[in-house]
Amino acid sequence: MKISLSWIKEFVDLSRISTEEIVSQLTMSGLEVEDVVDQTNLYKNFIVGFVKETEKHPNADKLTICKVFDGKDDLQVICGASNVKAGQKIVFAPIGTEIPNGNFVIKKAKIRGVESNGMICAEDELLLSDDHSGIMVLDEKFEAGKPITEALNLNDVILEIAITPNRPDALSHIGVARDLAALFDRDLIIPELKLNETNDDINKLASVVIEDIVNCPRYIAKVVKDVQIIESPKWLKDRLEKIGLRPRNNIVDITNLVLHECGQPLHAFDLDKLNGHKIVVKSTKSEIVFTTLDSKERKLPLNTLMICDGKREVAIAGVMGGENSEITETTKNILIESAYFHPSSIRKTSKTLGLSTDASYRFERGTDPNITKYAAERCAQLVAELAEGKIANGIIDVYPNVINPKEIELRFSRTTKILGYEVAPDKIKNILSRLGLAIKVLDEDKLLVSVPTFRPDIEREIDLIEEIARINGYDNIPTVSKINITLEKKTDETEFDEKIRQTATALGFFEMINNPLQTENDAKLTGNPIRIANPLSADMECLRTSLISGALITISKNIRQGVKDLKFFEIGDSFKRICDGEIKSFSDFTETQNLLLVISGKEVVKGWNIEEKESDFYLLKGLIDSFLSKISLDNVLIDSYYSTANEIYAYHLTKSFKEVELGRGGKLKNEVLKQFDINQDVYCFEFNLTVLKSVQSSTKTYTDPLKYPKIIRDFAFILDKSVKYLDVKEFIKKKSSPLLKVVSVFDVFESDSLGTDRKSLAFTLEYYDESRTLTEDEVEKDFNNLIALVTKEFNAQLRGK
Amino acid sequence: MLDKNITEIKESFYTDIKSVSSIKDVEELRIKYFSRNGLVSQLFEDLKDVVKEEKPILGKKLNLLRNEVSAYFEEVKERISSSNSNKENEIDLTLPGKNYIVGSKHILTQTLDEIKSIFKGLGFSVANGPELESDYYNFESLNFPADHPARDMQDTFFVSKEFLLRTHTTPVQIRLMEKQAPPVRAIMPGRVYRNEAVSARSYCMFHQVDGIYVDTDVTFAELKGTLVSFAKQFYGSDLKYRFRPSFFPFTEPSAEMDITCYLCHGKGCKICKNSGWLEILGCGMVDPNVFKFVNYDSEKYTGYAFGMGIERIALLKYGITDIRIFFDNDLRFLKQF
Repeated sequence: MKISLSWIKEFVDLSRISTEEIVSQLTMSGLEVEDVVDQTNLYKNFIVGFVKETEKHPNADKLTICKVFDGKDDLQVICGASNVKAGQKIVFAPIGTEIPNGNFVIKKAKIRGVESNGMICAEDELLLSDDHSGIMVLDEKFEAGKPITEALNLNDVILEIAITPNRPDALSHIGVARDLAALFDRDLIIPELKLNETNDDINKLASVVIEDIVNCPRYIAKVVKDVQIIESPKWLKDRLEKIGLRPRNNIVDITNLVLHECGQPLHAFDLDKLNGHKIVVKSTKSEIVFTTLDSKERKLPLNTLMICDGKREVAIAGVMGGENSEITETTKNILIESAYFHPSSIRKTSKTLGLSTDASYRFERGTDPNITKYAAERCAQLVAELAEGKIANGIIDVYPNVINPKEIELRFSRTTKILGYEVAPDKIKNILSRLGLAIKVLDEDKLLVSVPTFRPDIEREIDLIEEIARINGYDNIPTVSKINITLEKKTDETEFDEKIRQTATALGFFEMINNPLQTENDAKLTGNPIRIANPLSADMECLRTSLISGALITISKNIRQGVKDLKFFEIGDSFKRICDGEIKSFSDFTETQNLLLVISGKEVVKGWNIEEKESDFYLLKGLIDSFLSKISLDNVLIDSYYSTANEIYAYHLTKSFKEVELGRGGKLKNEVLKQFDINQDVYCFEFNLTVLKSVQSSTKTYTDPLKYPKIIRDFAFILDKSVKYLDVKEFIKKKSSPLLKVVSVFDVFESDSLGTDRKSLAFTLEYYDESRTLTEDEVEKDFNNLIALVTKEFNAQLRGK
Repeated sequence: MLDKNITEIKESFYTDIKSVSSIKDVEELRIKYFSRNGLVSQLFEDLKDVVKEEKPILGKKLNLLRNEVSAYFEEVKERISSSNSNKENEIDLTLPGKNYIVGSKHILTQTLDEIKSIFKGLGFSVANGPELESDYYNFESLNFPADHPARDMQDTFFVSKEFLLRTHTTPVQIRLMEKQAPPVRAIMPGRVYRNEAVSARSYCMFHQVDGIYVDTDVTFAELKGTLVSFAKQFYGSDLKYRFRPSFFPFTEPSAEMDITCYLCHGKGCKICKNSGWLEILGCGMVDPNVFKFVNYDSEKYTGYAFGMGIERIALLKYGITDIRIFFDNDLRFLKQF
C-alpha cells in the first residue's frame, strides 16, 4: 500500500521528525516500509526549461534540435518527441541528472552527429505516469530554471508499506497516522465535518432495506443532488496519482480519496438508475450473470451478497459496482453507499470470482462498522465542494444490531510474564490511549480496555500485550544471555536418517533432492498416485509413489550434461492412494519415508594403473549389503531373488525382516528407462525407511577376536550351469561339521572346455573354533566328506582330481 | 696338475666376474664356483689325491685362492645387490594416486545439519511430521480460521477438501504438543509446499525448520536470547540483528528477525533491497488459541515458536542466485559441497 507522507501530515504533526526516523519507526512497529520514494531527492536536478527555438535534425526525420533556456544559458538539446514546439515550458534534465525510470544518467552526447546537452522529459521517464506519447508540457507561468520539485509540488515522500492481514485499520492514511501518533506520542487530528444540507429529506428520495442482516450488519446511504460530473481538481488528481491510482471523474475520485483517507470503501450509484430509488441488500437465491462496471460478465454463485434496487442487482456487495447503475457524465443525483459487510462473506465472493478490489481487500480483512457514517458524510461534503452537489437532508442508517467496542482486561503482571520485562503502567496507559483505546483503571495490576471497532484484531489480553510490545519497541525487550536447559531425555527423530546419509556418502553416493510433484505418468509407474486438485502445471499434477521416477529424471538430465557415471541416493517421502474416492482421512493414503540408492554408468573409470569397470547388479548388491552391515542389519534379513521381470525391474531381489519386506531393487527394465530417455543400464534399490527404522536395533554387542588359528581349505567343482551358488553354499553349511564357520565363493568360471552347460564354482572354507586349536585330521575328514556329498548331490565333479 | 688348475680357475673366475651385472648372474657365479660341487670346492676335493709332500704348499695356496676370490665375490655381490635394489625403488612418484570417490550430502542437508546441531546444543529435540497434512493441523489448529485472509499468506496445494500439502512445518508443533505435556522444546525440520510460480527466487517446494519451546515462564526476552545465540553461532558473532513486529496467526506477539546484509554490511544493496537488512526467520510467542487446541493451560504455560527457510539461508550463505539449482541434482553442483 502506498502512503503519501504529506497526506499523513494532515492527521498527525510530524514536524522535526526526519523521514528516516518515520520509516524506521513504522518498520519497527510492524508496518514494514518496503520502499521509500523521496521525490525531493528523486527530482532534485530537474528544472523548468523554456524551448526558445526548434529546427529539424539534418540527419533524422523524427528528431528535433531545440534551443532550451535553463534560466541561465541557452543549450542545444535533441528531442525525439513529436509534440515539442518553440515557446513551450518543459521539464528539463541537465547533464548529470539521473532519470528515475531507467536508472541512467544524462551525459553530453552526439545524437546522429549533433551535440545534445540534456533531455526534455516525458511523464513516464519521471515515473509520474505511464504516458510516453510525448514530452510533458508545463504551464507557461513557470519560470525557466525553477526546480520542478517546487514548480510541480513534487516534494512528497511516498512510502510502500506491507500491511499484514491482521491490520485492516492500517489500510488508510488515518490508520497509519494513528500508529505514528502513538509512536511519536503526538495527537491524532481527524478533521471535523461541516455539511450544508438542503431541505430535501433523504427519506423521500431513497430507501434502504437489508434482508441479509448477518452479512450486512450496517448500511448507510447519503444522497447528493445536482452534481456536475467533471474532471477532479489538480490537488485531488495529484493525491491519487501519488499513491498509484488513476483519476477518473470527480465522484469516483472522491470515493477513492475517502477510502484511502479513512479506510472505508464507498460506492456511488446513479440514484436515477436505481429502480424505485431503493436499495435492497440480499443474497442471490440462484446462480446469476451480472455485468460489473469494468464491462465484464461474471457468473455469480448462489448466496452471493448483492446490492439490489427495486427490481434487479446493481452491485456485488463489497467487491464491485454494476455497469447498470454506475456514474456517467450525465449523472445528476447520486446515492453514496457506506456499509459494513461481514468479512468472510466478501472474502468468499472475491475468492470465487477471482476478483480482488481495493474495497474487497479491506472488507475481507474487516472494516470499521462505526466509521461508515463519518465516511459517508466526508464524501458528501467533498461532492458538495467539488461537484457543486446539494446534500439532501439527513442520512439513511440501517444498523439494527449496533456493534460496540469490546472490553478486555489487561494485567500488567501478565504483560511482564509474556515479554520478560516490565513496561511502566503509565507508559502502557499512554500507548493504549494513543492507539485510540479507552482505558479504565480497575486496580493496581489491572486495566479495563475498551477497544474501538476499527481494531478487529484486538480481541484478547495477549493482543493488547502485542500492541504494548510493538509500540514500545521490540528493541526494548531484553535479550537474555542465559537459558535453562531441562534435563529430561532429548530425542532426535532424524538421527537414523543421519546414519543412513553418512553410510551412503561413505559408500560414494551423492545425495539428491527431487521434487515430489511429478507427471501422472511418472507417478503411476510405481503405484496408485494422489492427484493435486490445483496443480501449478501438468508436470506437477501428482505426488510421487516412489523415489524411482525422480531419480530417473535426475539421471537422464545428468547424462544429457555428459555426466554418465552416477551414484545417487535420496531420502524422501512417497505417497500412495489406498482409497478410490476423495481423501478424507489419514487412512485413505500412505506416506512412507523411503531411501533410494541408484547406480548407473561406470563403477570404475579407466586409469593409468586401473581397469575400467561397469556398474552391475553385483555392485548394487554389494553396496546394499555393506550398507546394511553398517546399520547392523546384515545377518537378520532374508533375501529373495526374482529373475523374471515385473513392471519396472528386469530382475530384482527383495530384503525382508521376518514377513515384512523392507526393500527391493535390481536392474530397471529398458522399457522404463526409455520413458526417461536413458540408454544406459540403471540399477537401484529402494528401502522403506519407516519400516527399516522400526526393525533396526541400536544396541551392539562385542565379540572377542578369534584367539586360535583358522584352517583354510579350497575346492572347486564342475557343475551344471543351472545350479545356484546359494544352493551349494547352503548345502555345504548344512552338511558340514560345526567347525566350518565360513563358506565363500572365490571363483566362477564358465567354458566349453568344462563340458556343455557346465561351470566351475570354487569355494574357500574356513574352519575354526573359538576355544581351541583344530587338528588337521578333523578338518581333513570333514573336508573329504563334503567333497563326496557335494559331488553326489549336484552331479558335480571335483576339479584338479 | 692341481697347481695348474688353481691358476686356471683363478683366471676363469676373474673373467666370469667381469660380466656379472645382476643378482641372477651373482647367483650363477656362486653356484659355479662356491656351491658344494662348485669349482673351488672341487679343488679342495682334488687336494685329497695330492702326494703328501705337496699337500701343505698346495693347501696353503688353495686357501689363499679361496679367501681371495670369495672376498672379491662378496664385494661384487654387495655392489650388485645394492645397486640393483636402488633400481627396484625407482618409481615415478608424480603419477596420480588411485581415485576414490567419496559421496556427499546435499547442501541443503548440510545446512540443516548445522542448524540442528546448534539447536541440539541449546537443549532442543528434533521431531518429524507428515508432508501430506490435514487442514486441521496445517491451518485450523494453528489459528487460521476458515475464510480468513491469513490463509492467503500461504498458497496451498490441495489434494482434497480436507487434505493438503503442508505449507509450513508448524503443524508438527501441534502434533508434538498433542503427544506430550510441557515442557516441550524441539525443532521440526521438513519439506513444505507452496502453490507459487517457479522462478529463480521461489520454488513450489522447499524446506523449513520450525522450533517451539513451551514451559512455565517462557518469555519474549528468552525467545530473543535463544535466536540471537543461534544467529551468532550460524552467521558469526559480530552480527547485528533486529526484531521487527510481524503477523503469524499462531503467534502473538509475532516478530521477524533481520540480520545485517552480509553482502553490503548494512549499506544497502540489491540483495537486501537497499534496506541493509536480511530477514532470516519469523517467530513469536505461541498464541493462546493454539494452546486451546492442544489443551494446554495458557495461564500456566507460555511458549515461543519460530520458523526459517533452509533454501533462503543456503542461497545467502553460498552466494547461489537461483533456487532451482538445488533440485536439478546436477552432479557437478552436488560435488562442490
